Amino acid sequence: MASSSPNMLTKFESKSSRAKGIAFHPKRPWILVSLHSSTIQLWDYRMGTLIDRFEEHDGPVRGIDFHKTQPLFVSGGDDYKIKVWSYQTRRCLFTLNGHLDYVRTVFFHHELPWIISSSDDQTIRIWNWQNRSLICTMTGHNHYTMCAQFHPKDDLVVSASLDQSVRVWDISGLRKKHSAPTSMTFEDQMSRANQNQADMFGNTDAVVKFVLEGHDRGVNWVAFHPTLPLIVSAGDDRLVKLWRMSETKAWEVDTCRGHFQNASGCLFHPHQDLILSVGEDKTIRVWDLNKRTSVQSFKRENDRFWVIAAHPEINLFAAGHDNGVMVFKLERERPASAFYQNNLFFITKEKHVRSYDFQKNIESPTLLTLKKLGSPWVPPRTLSFNPAERAILVTSPADGGSYELINLPRDGTGAIDGADTKRGQGNSAVFVARNRFAVFNASNQQIDIKDLSNSTTKTIKPPHGTTDIYFGGTGNLLLITPSAVHLYDIQQKKSVAELAVSGVKYIVWSNDGLYAALLSKHNVTIVTKALEQVSTLHETIRIKSATWDDAGVLLYSTLNHIKYTLLNGDNGIVRTLDQTVYLVRVKARTVYCLDRNAKPKILNIDPTEYRFKMALVKRNYEEMLQIIKNSSLVGQSIISYLQKKGYPEIALQFVQDPQTRFELAIECGNLDVAVEMAKQLDKPKLWSRLTTEALAHGNHQIVEMTYQKLRQFDKLSFLYLSTGDEAKLGRMAKIAEHRGDFTARFQNALYLGDVTDRIQMFKEIDLYPLAFMTAKSHGLEDECESILEATGLTEEQITLPSMGSPLTPPKPVVQTFKANWPTKATSQSFFEKALLGQVDGLTLEDEPAAASNGLGFDDTGDEDLTNRNGNLEDADDDEDAAGWDMGDDIVPEVESDFVNVESTEAGGAASSEADLWARNSPLAADHVAGGSFETAMQLLNRQVGAVNFEPLKPRFLEIYEASKTYLPASAGLPPLINYVRRTVDETDPRKVLPIIPQDIESLATYDLQKGYKAMQSNKLEECAQIFKRMLFALLVNTVSSPSEVVEAKKLITSACEYSIAMAIELSRRNLGSNEEVAKSPEKLKRSLELSAYFTIPKLEVAHRQLTLVSALKSAWTNKNYNSALSFANRMLANGGNAKMLENARKTKAQCERNPNDTLEIEFDQFAEFDICAASHTPIYSGSPFEVCAFDGSKYHSKYKGTVCTVCEVCEVGKNGSGLKLVA
Amino acid sequence: MDPFSAEGELLNLHNHFHQGQFQEAVDFDTAGLSPENALPARVLSLRAQIALGQAEDVIADVQGEKEPELLAVSALAELAAGNESKAVTFAEGLAKDSGENSVVQVLAGTVLQAARNSEEALALLSKHQGNLEAVALIIQIQLQQNRTDLALKEVQAARRWAQDSLLVNLAESWVGLRMGGEKYQQAFYVFEELAQAAATSSVQSVISQAVAEIHLGRLDEAEAALQQATAKDPKQADLIVNNIVLNTIAGKDTTELKSTLTSVAPNHHFLTDIQEKSELFDKAATKYSAKAAA
Repeated sequence: MASSSPNMLTKFESKSSRAKGIAFHPKRPWILVSLHSSTIQLWDYRMGTLIDRFEEHDGPVRGIDFHKTQPLFVSGGDDYKIKVWSYQTRRCLFTLNGHLDYVRTVFFHHELPWIISSSDDQTIRIWNWQNRSLICTMTGHNHYTMCAQFHPKDDLVVSASLDQSVRVWDISGLRKKHSAPTSMTFEDQMSRANQNQADMFGNTDAVVKFVLEGHDRGVNWVAFHPTLPLIVSAGDDRLVKLWRMSETKAWEVDTCRGHFQNASGCLFHPHQDLILSVGEDKTIRVWDLNKRTSVQSFKRENDRFWVIAAHPEINLFAAGHDNGVMVFKLERERPASAFYQNNLFFITKEKHVRSYDFQKNIESPTLLTLKKLGSPWVPPRTLSFNPAERAILVTSPADGGSYELINLPRDGTGAIDGADTKRGQGNSAVFVARNRFAVFNASNQQIDIKDLSNSTTKTIKPPHGTTDIYFGGTGNLLLITPSAVHLYDIQQKKSVAELAVSGVKYIVWSNDGLYAALLSKHNVTIVTKALEQVSTLHETIRIKSATWDDAGVLLYSTLNHIKYTLLNGDNGIVRTLDQTVYLVRVKARTVYCLDRNAKPKILNIDPTEYRFKMALVKRNYEEMLQIIKNSSLVGQSIISYLQKKGYPEIALQFVQDPQTRFELAIECGNLDVAVEMAKQLDKPKLWSRLTTEALAHGNHQIVEMTYQKLRQFDKLSFLYLSTGDEAKLGRMAKIAEHRGDFTARFQNALYLGDVTDRIQMFKEIDLYPLAFMTAKSHGLEDECESILEATGLTEEQITLPSMGSPLTPPKPVVQTFKANWPTKATSQSFFEKALLGQVDGLTLEDEPAAASNGLGFDDTGDEDLTNRNGNLEDADDDEDAAGWDMGDDIVPEVESDFVNVESTEAGGAASSEADLWARNSPLAADHVAGGSFETAMQLLNRQVGAVNFEPLKPRFLEIYEASKTYLPASAGLPPLINYVRRTVDETDPRKVLPIIPQDIESLATYDLQKGYKAMQSNKLEECAQIFKRMLFALLVNTVSSPSEVVEAKKLITSACEYSIAMAIELSRRNLGSNEEVAKSPEKLKRSLELSAYFTIPKLEVAHRQLTLVSALKSAWTNKNYNSALSFANRMLANGGNAKMLENARKTKAQCERNPNDTLEIEFDQFAEFDICAASHTPIYSGSPFEVCAFDGSKYHSKYKGTVCTVCEVCEVGKNGSGLKLVA
Repeated sequence: MDPFSAEGELLNLHNHFHQGQFQEAVDFDTAGLSPENALPARVLSLRAQIALGQAEDVIADVQGEKEPELLAVSALAELAAGNESKAVTFAEGLAKDSGENSVVQVLAGTVLQAARNSEEALALLSKHQGNLEAVALIIQIQLQQNRTDLALKEVQAARRWAQDSLLVNLAESWVGLRMGGEKYQQAFYVFEELAQAAATSSVQSVISQAVAEIHLGRLDEAEAALQQATAKDPKQADLIVNNIVLNTIAGKDTTELKSTLTSVAPNHHFLTDIQEKSELFDKAATKYSAKAAA
């Protein structure tokens, strides 16, 4: 009778001493296991790790239970103790003493702070764990009580005892006594107290309701059904008995026979009509609740089972045996499915075949039922779809494996049994061509190729140990063995390729059929269609399913994540999952999947990250640009990713931090950026790194500058020598002279071939012999004379060594110093150029031409190089002088001299304070004040998606105009420009910031009030203008503290609300005069609607009243009494002006007589809604909408991408990083 | 002895000129001066005339003169009259021939700087021998180049030998307005002292005071000062410009002031700058557009 299924789906197993008690955590993937060895273990069964151990009991621990909501659990042991623990603090909170023998089971009550325990002392006790007291002792069993449980809902307890009886107890008396204390008289209290004492034997708190007799031996376990009035018990008579009870009586329904040793535990399946039981015969048995027949049984070799527990929510069970516990599920939860083009075919829990249309997002009615397939408790395993014949091939593991080939009806007409079915034995079956399918039979290791009439056309002997087969491209099969995958050609009848991958369970083909993903429990291996491995990755969490993006990215799901992997193996997390799902399809930002209940689900994902990486791999620069432009793809991870992957030049585009920028620039050889950053940071270390890099590039102009910065005079001299820049070499000599550094001076003189200076220097340091020799060797006889004269010697007194020819320094052949050598095009990529191009106003559409051929690349590179050099020269000139004044004061006096020397030739101008502002601040307003409009626009575009800047022009110019004063100075010269700061007390040039006119305070006190006044006096157009101006002023502004940011945001919101309100009312007034409106029913309806909507924006209460008055008036005059009533009610709720309220009250009274609208308008006074700022129609809560990132105004989705009508600047639905007002 | 020192005969004339009291400088009675001071006095007087906008008269006045000082004056006058290239040629010639003459240094330096030839101007001016005017000019040029650091050094050096002289004070205030912080207040004191004493007050010094107040964030005081200046000379371009700036900061309308400025000084830096920025804005704004039309 019992059909055994060897494939129990074991999810976790632990090794330990005998497990006597098990409890699942209701939410987390945890189980508590109490052991015969006195230990309590806390396992994470998903990760397979032991989280904690609790060892305070003395002797075996038999009872264990988690609290449903609190971080508590309870245990009871052979030391007669009940302990309550906190798993957070990881210690025993307190112990409940009272039992006089072993404690067998402990359970928490589902809502009351109670614990129930059963013990070998023949009692069942109920404890209050909050005040840690015993509240009830239930006596009656006359042998050990083995188990006692609360009813999941009612005030009942069921208990089992070795006295062979099962008892049901009524504890409603106990609940009454311990809940909701009503005020009691003294007498009541007395009698209550007395009663308690009398309870000891004449118990009224818990009374036996039913005694169930039927077991011939002791009963080990008993359990209530979660919803039905049923009880199941297991006893030493090897029987599992089912009992039913009504209000008044209880009786035995049936017995499940099968265990051939003591049955030690049993329970009802939480969701299905099944009973599970375990016994000392080493089996777990599953029974049909309705037929009481065995459905499944699982046998363990050596271990007797002692206990079984069910997870309250998900389809998981745990059984404890002699050597530990096992967590398992009864059936596979993966719904069998297949997709073709835009349709998903899948089998529901009820074994109905349905389809789901990805385009319309509609689930079809049932196409077919598969009730007859396999056994009722075994779901079908796989589904293969043949689009040509519209046929499906379903396999089921029941009865040693079977398949059915069924034609699907065109459209679902409800539950049709697959009438014309062809079936056979087999473990797997897949379509391999339009009219052929392959069936694999594991037992005889044979693959049959069959035609659609189910007759075998070919038989194949697969490689030894084949466990499963999958479609392998037309005419091919993929055969899975435990250690390898074979690509098998059906025609040639041989394996054409083999790849050693162990434990493959599923194979998912990419949509273009070029790649396949081999999924095993912890690995994803991507292969080509020729079974060549492309990449592989390992996951610690189990991999459940996978599907391919149209672009060739594999998305796969683990137990709790959706992840992606590119062909090159780069992977990452796309999103987390609350529950396990099986991916079937991904389209753009939508992932379609089936959950464990076989219901199609749609998940939204953000594909930016993998799209970007994909584009990077494919060097698809347009797409990358598009992504960068349209999403806020920043952050450390993407930067380090790019750097790691060898795209520092692209990473450079994302980085703001100067240090990182410098590193990246050095890495990709972008000297311009490196120079810029080094200037900003100005650290010797960076300069020397820059030197090395620039030297390597042969960019001597940068090298010159860095040497200047680093004050490496000797190197500088040598550089000038090697570049043939004699003028500067001369200057170096002069500097050496100033510094009194004779070695340097000598060196420079040597480089210059300046004999006289050398002689002069020797004389200065009293080295007359050397001076004389130098003069002599260069034939400067006059000089020789004067030296002799000075030293008072004659030539005869000196012995001269023999002379060689005088040293002549080489003359520069080429004037290298004038320009940099043409260096190789540094890695200024197309991408970078494109980004720059974007700034220059090139549109994206222009670029593909350049990108499409590789040749275009080089050209642009060269062109760019010359530009770069040009720029560099400029920069160099500007900075020549500047380079010197910032270092430390080694030679303070020389310094200024040198600067003068330099500045006579090269302009000494530095950047103005306005430039500093932009550098010092990340705020758009500061950039505007500094005159850097482009960067300001970029900032606004990124922050709030600003696209239409025209309305902001006055604001931009206003800020810019306010930034500078003109100080008349020397007559005849233009006035001196000074820069007005808001940081009046600040002198550090790195911290100064510009003044921004119209600060928050003035806007809040002055402009806002002006707007209110205009509203009050019914000058709506003026009012709208004022609030619009306020929005502009707020968009480009700064505040001093985060608290002001809050204030500013409030201002933005109210300005937005008012703007919308004004726009609504103005559009109502623009419908025409009252008479015109009254004539046209359409206009009248719109007019009424608009007047109703006018009351929606969140205006000041006083102003809201005005809108309500107006709405009330028009509703009343047009006999829309119901609307009028609602307006009147709202007015009364708001309060305020007495006269107004009086009117409202009157209107209300009249309206209540006839609360009906004559003209139906789209205004639901009871619904929550916002007004779409573009169409002035309601957006009901729950319906999709888009917002303006700046002012927060809402729009119907169709307005996405348009310019916000409120601020007139930002693009609706374009999410930015948020408006930044404070640094 | 330096004719401009505290004991010198020309101190008052010199001060009038540098305080912006140009009319007073022109009207200065030069009859009683010692003969060696006659020429410097005439030069100052002529410069004041140029500052008052009477460049043509000055050109006629110095016609045919051979002294390098007067040639330098004529160069300056040509500049003021709008003949920049002519003025620069003059100035370059003078710089070469009489680069050691202090008047030539200052005036030719001014012309060169005005023609945006800062390097040559600085080269010429650096030849000076203790001439405060040249120092002040150097400082102004350096400030225009945004080299506040150098300007500060120059001031400190000048302060060592020229102590409390007017030009040092002024130049220090110019630098101070660039540096900010406490220096704003110090600059304000200097300008206020000049502006509020009847003997030294001029439109220029009142404007300077107002500018210092703007930087200090005292908008009401600045407004009062500018009104005071407006009462004296409503058509002064710098006055109007600073008035525009002040009103913009205070969030008031500036349309009228701007149109006045356009009529008074259509080529003022403020206007050209704004024009340039306005074009920049239009150009930059075209790069952005909404994805969908409304």
